[in-house]
Amino acid sequence: MQFFKTLNLDYISNRRYAYAFSSALFLIIIISYIIRGGPNLSIDFKGGTSILIKFEQGITTQDIRNALIPIGLGNSEIKSIGSENEYLIYIGQQKDISVSETVQQVEEAIKASLVGISYEILKTDTVGPKIGQELRNAVIWAILLSLLLMLIYLGWRFEFVFAVGAIVALFHDVIVVVGAFIVLNYEISIKEIAAFLTIVGYSINDTIVIYDRIRENLKIYRNDNLETILNRSVNQCMNRTVNTALTVFLVVISLYILGGEVIKGFAFAMLIGVFEGVYSTVFVASPIVYEWQVRHGGKEQLKMAKRKIR
Amino acid sequence: MRGKSLFKTIFIIAIVSWALYALWPTYKMQSLSVEETEKLDEEGKLVSLRDRAIRMGLDLQGGMYLTYEVDLPQLIEQLARNKDDQLISILQQTREELNISSEDFLDILVRHFEEEGIPLSRYWGERGESDDKILSTLQNEAKEAMTRSLQKLRNRIDQFGVSEPSIQKVRDRRILIELPGVSNPDDAKALIGRTALLEFKLLKEPEIFSEVIDNIDKKLAKNRGVVSETDTAIAEELPEEVVEQKVSDDEVISVSELFGDEDVFTGETGEVDTSLLVDREIFEENPFIALFRDGRKEGKQVSVPIKNIKAVDRILEQEDIQQLIPTDAVFLWSLESFQLGDTECRELFLVNREAELTGKYLIDARVTIGSDVQSAGMPEVNFTLNRSGASIFSRVTGANLNKRLAITLDDRVVSAPNIQTKIPEGRGRITGISDMDEAQMLAIVLRVGALDAPIHIIEERTVGPSLGKDSISSGELSVTVGMALVILFMIVYYRMSGIIADIALILNLILLLAVLAQFGFVLTMPGVAGIVLTIGMAVDANVLVFERIREELKTGKTVRASIDAGYSRAFTAILDSNVTTIITAVILYQFGTGPVKGFAVTLSIGIAISMFTALVVTRVIFNHITSRRVLTKLSI
Repeated sequence: MQFFKTLNLDYISNRRYAYAFSSALFLIIIISYIIRGGPNLSIDFKGGTSILIKFEQGITTQDIRNALIPIGLGNSEIKSIGSENEYLIYIGQQKDISVSETVQQVEEAIKASLVGISYEILKTDTVGPKIGQELRNAVIWAILLSLLLMLIYLGWRFEFVFAVGAIVALFHDVIVVVGAFIVLNYEISIKEIAAFLTIVGYSINDTIVIYDRIRENLKIYRNDNLETILNRSVNQCMNRTVNTALTVFLVVISLYILGGEVIKGFAFAMLIGVFEGVYSTVFVASPIVYEWQVRHGGKEQLKMAKRKIR
Repeated sequence: MRGKSLFKTIFIIAIVSWALYALWPTYKMQSLSVEETEKLDEEGKLVSLRDRAIRMGLDLQGGMYLTYEVDLPQLIEQLARNKDDQLISILQQTREELNISSEDFLDILVRHFEEEGIPLSRYWGERGESDDKILSTLQNEAKEAMTRSLQKLRNRIDQFGVSEPSIQKVRDRRILIELPGVSNPDDAKALIGRTALLEFKLLKEPEIFSEVIDNIDKKLAKNRGVVSETDTAIAEELPEEVVEQKVSDDEVISVSELFGDEDVFTGETGEVDTSLLVDREIFEENPFIALFRDGRKEGKQVSVPIKNIKAVDRILEQEDIQQLIPTDAVFLWSLESFQLGDTECRELFLVNREAELTGKYLIDARVTIGSDVQSAGMPEVNFTLNRSGASIFSRVTGANLNKRLAITLDDRVVSAPNIQTKIPEGRGRITGISDMDEAQMLAIVLRVGALDAPIHIIEERTVGPSLGKDSISSGELSVTVGMALVILFMIVYYRMSGIIADIALILNLILLLAVLAQFGFVLTMPGVAGIVLTIGMAVDANVLVFERIREELKTGKTVRASIDAGYSRAFTAILDSNVTTIITAVILYQFGTGPVKGFAVTLSIGIAISMFTALVVTRVIFNHITSRRVLTKLSI
């Protein structure tokens, strides 16, 4: 079986549609960012206390809130999670109560107010302000370092023009995937950051496979113009690109649906990343290589390309 | 069969055998029922089985994760001599800066001292020593205190009996503690978090105690007369009070009434205005005593309802009140609370500031059940002092007959028994502990010793066991289904070659798990995600090879030649793509927290192994097939 026996799509000529689409995405992301005031960061970055609690019987959010008012925590965020009486209580940093006492106080308050209703505390997280700050710094460093190392690696393996295309594609990746989280207001924790970085790695290697082919084709098809070679390379690799994306998609969708609440955010990020990785390789990396060569290059293919363009 | 192929085949079989052997304990542990597990535990075999199985992170096992920060400022303060106000103020500034900056504490301190133009030798080290020398001495002290505290924490946790705890020092002042399977976080924290400074302090005579209380009372009454009436305007600004049940003589007043100002105990949200219980009859004349309740029948000299404790503390902190307290004395609260009627109270004591004896002199502490009339059935801690401790104790008890000696733990009075006779043998009991668990924790910390400096929790996470189990089963399910989908896809798309790739994939998974088990890597939930991703990405190598082979076949090459060409041409692309994934994994390992580290580890190992399985194993299988007979077609 083969997905595409002979594929002959013209990506380069139609690149303007891709630019338009990407621009539209960016616009949506920017607007969302402004409306929401920033990404929805998890407790790892914000600090505070979060408690995942499961009740045996039907309890409403209001019941929980009423339990917390007497201890001054009525303003906390209370969310219903999943399907069966699971709630997530998030309490921001408290000055009077020490980091470790918050959970105790909440538990006592709930016991006092919701008498006789049995519950189980599934998970608690209490993060002091310093840790949150440090994690934020660590993430920024991690992202910068990743991009830098990718750039170096590309620069070593390929010529400059390719590196440019790949870096633009990389930024595109990060913006779209993080943007998805901003638009949908999904929570970003350290796990999702891990997914973002993994997508970066995955997308780059997708791009490298195509660059490899482009480089090979440039040597073989010396008489064709750049546009043709780029298109041909992408088309030739399409089977493999779709295949790899598909296998990753299959495992990630299984993780998303079956893997449980804890890892859902990570899985969702990977899902977006799979599609975005293919899109950025085909519709961003190659066209950018083309644009760059057209404007700045000085090779023979370039002259031929220019001739064709008119 | 070609020679090289034979060798490779044997090698592969050897590796697979090793992998299955390495995984056997994990399989066994998973399949044990609860009774079987307990039986093995009794036989002492459970630990070794568990050691050889895959270690699971807290998010899969359940348990507690704590990050403590050692209060270095406190330690440095303790080491100083000639403590004066200037030192206190510099230390305070340094503490505040420490909260927001991640600079090293000692560096900040030195900087402040330099700004003030004071040499460090005024408070530390020998006279005339240079700042640098003192700084390095202090740094050593800090390092050693850290090491000692770490050791003591390890000892405490050992005695607590947690299986496979992990205690690590992180950077200069932090300690990371993981306690798998701990179901009672409060016990664990009580054990670990306390400094556990045991001290023996003499109580001030009852007459002196009463006198001081009276003086404070008069002063407070006078102050209230001076302070303006509670403004109704202020009262309106304050949000809703929480009204308590009124009890006979008691009146509920708001804190602002007592103190006459607005910034009372409102929390961050400004919501709750704590109210106090006061004895209405005497409140006007004796505002301080009105905060107490009468527990003299229960043998408590001064009892204070829990609600009022903060107010009493605040009063005692006021400067003009401080002057009424003798300089060699200090007020301390009781450790435990008790019921007076229907109000929960704590007792207030006035003790000598200086301790007669500290926990340093303890050589043993054991929990027993009280057998005499007063403490029948209640847990107590019997302690034994070393020789010098015993002689001090003997002297102190001899010289202070019929006085009371407070036994304090971290500045809370555990009990304050009357000294009835001189105690020469250096033995004693600590009573007044209500809970058996409490007593056991106390005995442990006393045995191990007090920490050099207090430690504070800056991060705490707990995962309940049921969530852990859920995560494990979800993880297993998603791995299985994901694997099945990919296997199916490969067969459909690449037919028999797909089956070969699938064999490699299954091998990949087995090897990955075996490596985790053998080398003791911890599996976390993101780690499971890493396994899942490995499955999806590992297949990529095969895809690259197979697509090449297909292309080569199309150009008309023989089957064998196509296979050769496919493998060699695809190799660089495979290498490239795996390198980038591993680069990001390494970065994630470096910068990530525990669970994310687990992800980086499984992904890296998985990808690395996939290089082997996708290239070597499938190649060997292809070689076997093509060496049998010459193929004209390849099922790919």
